[in-house]
Amino acid sequence: MTLLLIVALFLPLFPLSVVLNGAMGLLREPVLRCLLLLAWPQLGVMLLQLAAQAVPPYVVPWALATAGFYALRLLTVRDMGQWAGFLATSALALTWALAAGGADRAELHAFAFWFSLPPALVALLARPLARRFGAAYAGLQGGLIAGLPRLSGMLALTVLAAVATPPFPGFFALLNLLQMLDWTGALAVLAIWLVWGWAATRLLQGFLFGAERAVAFVDIGRASALVYAGVLGGFAIAGLMLTGWRL
Amino acid sequence: MLALGRRLKIRTLVHVAGEPIPFFWPMRTFIHHNPLYGLEHLPFEQAVAMGERLFRARGYLSRALQQRHLAAGKLDRTALERQVADFLASQPDIAGLDLQRLLMTLLTEIETPVGAPPALADAVDIHAALNGFALPSREIGGAALAVQVGADMLPGRPLHAIVDMLFGTEIGATLDELVIKSCLDFFDEGQSVWQMPGREKGLFAAWSAVARRNLRLFIRGLHIKRILAVDDTPEGIISHVMDELGVPEDDWMNHFTCELTRLHGWAGFIRWRAGAKHYHWARHYPADLVDYLAIRLVLGLALLREHAERKGTPAKLAELAHFVESNPAEAYLRREFHGGHVLPEMAHAVEDAIAARRPARIARLLPQYLARKREHEARHHAAALRRLATCAGMADAPQHLVPADVASLTDMLARFEREEGGIWLEALEAHYLGRLLHGLDLTWPTPREKRPFAQVMFCIDVRSERIRRHLEKVGDYQTFGIAGFFGVPVSFIGLEKGSETHLCPVVASPKNVVLELAIARSAADEAFVSTLEQVFHELKASVLSPFITVEAIGLLFGLDMFGKSLAPLAYARWRQRLHPDKPDSRLLLDKLSREQAESIIRSLQRALIVKAVGRELGIQREAITDEMIRELRETALGNHAGATGFARAFRLDPEAETRFIECLQKVYRINRGYAQIQLERLGRIGFTLDEQVHFVGQALRSIGLVDGFSRFVLLAGHGSTSENNPYESALDCGACGGNHGITNARVLAQIANKPAVRARLREQGIAIPDDSWFVPAFHNTTTDELRVYDLDLLPPSHLVYTERLNNGLQAASRLCAAERMVTLEEAVAASGEHADPASAYRLARRNAMDWSQVRPEWGLARNAAFVIGRRHVTGQLDLEGRVFLHSYDYRCDPRGRLLENILAGPLVVGQWINMEHYFSAVDNAHYGSGSKAYHNIAGRFGVMTGNLSDLRTGLPAQTVLKDGAPYHEPLRLLTVIEAPIAHARAAIEGVVKIRNLVHNGWLRMAVVDPETHVAHVFEDGAWRQRPLHAAGGAVEEKELAL
Repeated sequence: MTLLLIVALFLPLFPLSVVLNGAMGLLREPVLRCLLLLAWPQLGVMLLQLAAQAVPPYVVPWALATAGFYALRLLTVRDMGQWAGFLATSALALTWALAAGGADRAELHAFAFWFSLPPALVALLARPLARRFGAAYAGLQGGLIAGLPRLSGMLALTVLAAVATPPFPGFFALLNLLQMLDWTGALAVLAIWLVWGWAATRLLQGFLFGAERAVAFVDIGRASALVYAGVLGGFAIAGLMLTGWRL
Repeated sequence: MLALGRRLKIRTLVHVAGEPIPFFWPMRTFIHHNPLYGLEHLPFEQAVAMGERLFRARGYLSRALQQRHLAAGKLDRTALERQVADFLASQPDIAGLDLQRLLMTLLTEIETPVGAPPALADAVDIHAALNGFALPSREIGGAALAVQVGADMLPGRPLHAIVDMLFGTEIGATLDELVIKSCLDFFDEGQSVWQMPGREKGLFAAWSAVARRNLRLFIRGLHIKRILAVDDTPEGIISHVMDELGVPEDDWMNHFTCELTRLHGWAGFIRWRAGAKHYHWARHYPADLVDYLAIRLVLGLALLREHAERKGTPAKLAELAHFVESNPAEAYLRREFHGGHVLPEMAHAVEDAIAARRPARIARLLPQYLARKREHEARHHAAALRRLATCAGMADAPQHLVPADVASLTDMLARFEREEGGIWLEALEAHYLGRLLHGLDLTWPTPREKRPFAQVMFCIDVRSERIRRHLEKVGDYQTFGIAGFFGVPVSFIGLEKGSETHLCPVVASPKNVVLELAIARSAADEAFVSTLEQVFHELKASVLSPFITVEAIGLLFGLDMFGKSLAPLAYARWRQRLHPDKPDSRLLLDKLSREQAESIIRSLQRALIVKAVGRELGIQREAITDEMIRELRETALGNHAGATGFARAFRLDPEAETRFIECLQKVYRINRGYAQIQLERLGRIGFTLDEQVHFVGQALRSIGLVDGFSRFVLLAGHGSTSENNPYESALDCGACGGNHGITNARVLAQIANKPAVRARLREQGIAIPDDSWFVPAFHNTTTDELRVYDLDLLPPSHLVYTERLNNGLQAASRLCAAERMVTLEEAVAASGEHADPASAYRLARRNAMDWSQVRPEWGLARNAAFVIGRRHVTGQLDLEGRVFLHSYDYRCDPRGRLLENILAGPLVVGQWINMEHYFSAVDNAHYGSGSKAYHNIAGRFGVMTGNLSDLRTGLPAQTVLKDGAPYHEPLRLLTVIEAPIAHARAAIEGVVKIRNLVHNGWLRMAVVDPETHVAHVFEDGAWRQRPLHAAGGAVEEKELAL
């Protein structure tokens, strides 16, 4: 039981989830945030495998409640780093539901990865924004799409990947999860997914659209954009391969 | 109920408050106008500043764009330097700084403005930052913070706007949305299938009846009913809301102006509509700004109260003032965050603090925030000063300044940047002025040995310049420029049209009606295709039919879509073949005698009686006689009493007969009163012979064509054709009220060919030879086609020359298309300087038929000047389609009256067009209408961006911008008059409107004197003279002692 509680720190369940989000708040450096988001859930899955105990049935509603709570919190958060943290918390909590459904170790690691890589990339994108505007805060620096098309494009794609839109793997992983849940659980996950989409729209609206900025800023370099696009492209291909498609 | 005097006062206040808002005409007849027309009484710079405040719009191009103009050689650097020197003449010197060099560097090398002096950091702080010292500690008190918040709470600013700024609510946006929905419901002109009930009672009455029962508003917590219960009149409601908000009465007008300008498109439409007495929809569904404002205020108050209940925000001005006074720290941080001033790195902390609303937390955060913000401001400003000084080659100078000098420099730079827009503008204008004046030819041409093959009168429109140039080049054509309505204001009733269209500039009101009559029309012309189109349209508009008919007829729409998209030209040709040709027609131009008018009315009444007998009683025409019809008519008009022969013949009892007669009087309007109205209307048809002679004589004299008439005198009206383009009429003739100019051309041609008119003109010294024939023509500015009309009226002697005429016109059309396509199509531009004329002509016609084409032509973009003078003066110049050309020969106008007419009419229209383009190019998002790609038709009279927005005024981005940067060079219209200076000045001073425009800087004016060969330019409030043909800016100038 103790081990399960420890796992709940890494595959965050409320209120233990405050640890991950507290850490995200304390770490101001986007690279560290990115690394934390990538490593943290993998540790959780490893620990979960060590626990010689099945996931108790009450954990699934707890996980869904956590995911729902953080999805709703996403709607009010404007700091991009924290947004990435909350989204990861909301998504990673669903790992418990997958584990309760009998998923094997590889599936759990993959699920955690599919839902931690895009938020990690979102957290990383806070860096060029903060460098240009002082902070990556939605609503303060609107209208990026006109002046910074490459950064805007990357931001939009990464956020879409983060909220499990097709063809990114999160979408297919979510479909897999839906099959393992009963209809109430599936409905809850669909509602959570809907709120993620809403939150993503609000976030993108706060950055990309709005009045054009009077002061011009330099866009991210072509190479950075290509690297980012490559990662996202690879991620999308991985998602398609989940459906059985082969190169 | 409010007292009458009070109501009148409120009405007056609202109307005065709405004056800065420009009219918005329905887009069916797009009228180019100055968006700051209501501010034209102010000098240009002041009006632009006021426009910035009222419409939140920029009045000048940004520095970065002007720097591009400078790099491209479109700007006069000398003029820029002179302007900077003029500015510095009134500024204090700062020791150690070469201010002229500093400001020129700022203008030409620094893209980002230095900006206004910081709000928190002072000169001492900036001085410290410049020298790398730590900022001196300083405490900023609550009073200072309240002052900063107060700076955004200007008198008249609506309470909801301040609440939005301090609490991050979106009351203003919600209010706009609700108001727009209300306007869309009321002002709909047939776009909606279900109409708003009770519209005939007026905007406020109809809206309040619906709003009282609006469940959606109630569910949102907006208790409209309670507010509306106070008074039935819009004035009473306005007074009540203002009292409830606690706005002092002295501020009401400012408050009203702010509310009205927030959606200035809708307000402008309502303002225009309230005064458009002839407008069908306004007559049936009245509305004015008082109604509109009352609705806005009711909804605004309801939203404020709802937010006050739910979020505890202030709902009265006094509550707001109390909040700011008692919580200056919180108010300041709120303004910082929601007003968009917050330091980004502290945004999260500030948001958390104000969300918690705990004074202790705010008190903890505030000193930290103020210190960092002050430091940020000081360092940012110091960096900007250092960068500027380095670029100017004075890198060390800022460090040696004492704090007082830093303060002077900061203030001076802020003042300069406020005035910078005007400085750039004048330099841009100086460059164009220099080039244009340099190219003018004021010599007198040698007299011609023989008359030209044809003379062609074109509209003054800038698009005529290109085709005139090419026509003159391809053959013996002499061209003239005249306002496109040819000086004949016409109220036109076209074939099968029931309403009048005013074909003249909007500044004039036509007194005479011209009726178009078909020569012959058979029942077989009732096209099957037209009927089918009508059915299709109704199927589309219906609510349910698309669901049930899509499988059945969807394919037909698909065919239409593929045809229009893939082969627009061929498909349009095929469709035209399906439609019957428009029947030949004649225009009824002569006044009717009383007998003729009465006879027409009698005939109309008889036709109606036949219809009524058939429809009401089921009796066919063959069963009744002319005598019966006459008797029924006389009875209906009250000229006959007792039973009619008709009643006896069809055994109608007296009651049924009386009923039928009453039906004739009321439903079919066969009564004395209506007959009198019809008689008066018929009296407006046509022109008297005196009027006809006057119009022809004036048109010819105004362009200096009083002798040497050719065999053909073409009157070329113009218009455009494009598909799927709500702005089509913006490309039509402005002088014809945004319509095609062909009707006016036909009117003048028909009049000028009348022997009686020519005889009278001969008495006035204008001898038009018998073999001269006036022929109407149409210049399609989208395709460049020149088409001749009414050829069936041509005398047989002229028919042998028509081939040559058509050849010449077509050659000019093709050459014009070749020149124009280079500016429109990237592919053509890339292929070389000039495209192949035939393929360019085909491409132009394709553009006109292509429904996906967002820019069928450039229209009047890049207009820059208005030349009033002989064609010889500009004949050798390629003016690139940028100049309005009005032919004028001062020798034909000894008293200057014709020149005054040109200034008062065509020039004013030209200035409206110019200003519309200027402001749409400078700030397309606010003064223009943004991208066409997002436009949707609103109510069939305007466009909105997306599905809900203010009515978009001004020109779309595709008309004035290219690749996001201005294609139209925003210049104030440079008017050049070719006439002796005294003659021209007398005319300018004689037209008050023009004099004010010139003196207030809305128009640039120059007079070129053909007798002295000296140019006189109005600059800085005085006429200055400069010799013509001086090189560039190195011109000797001296002020005239006039």
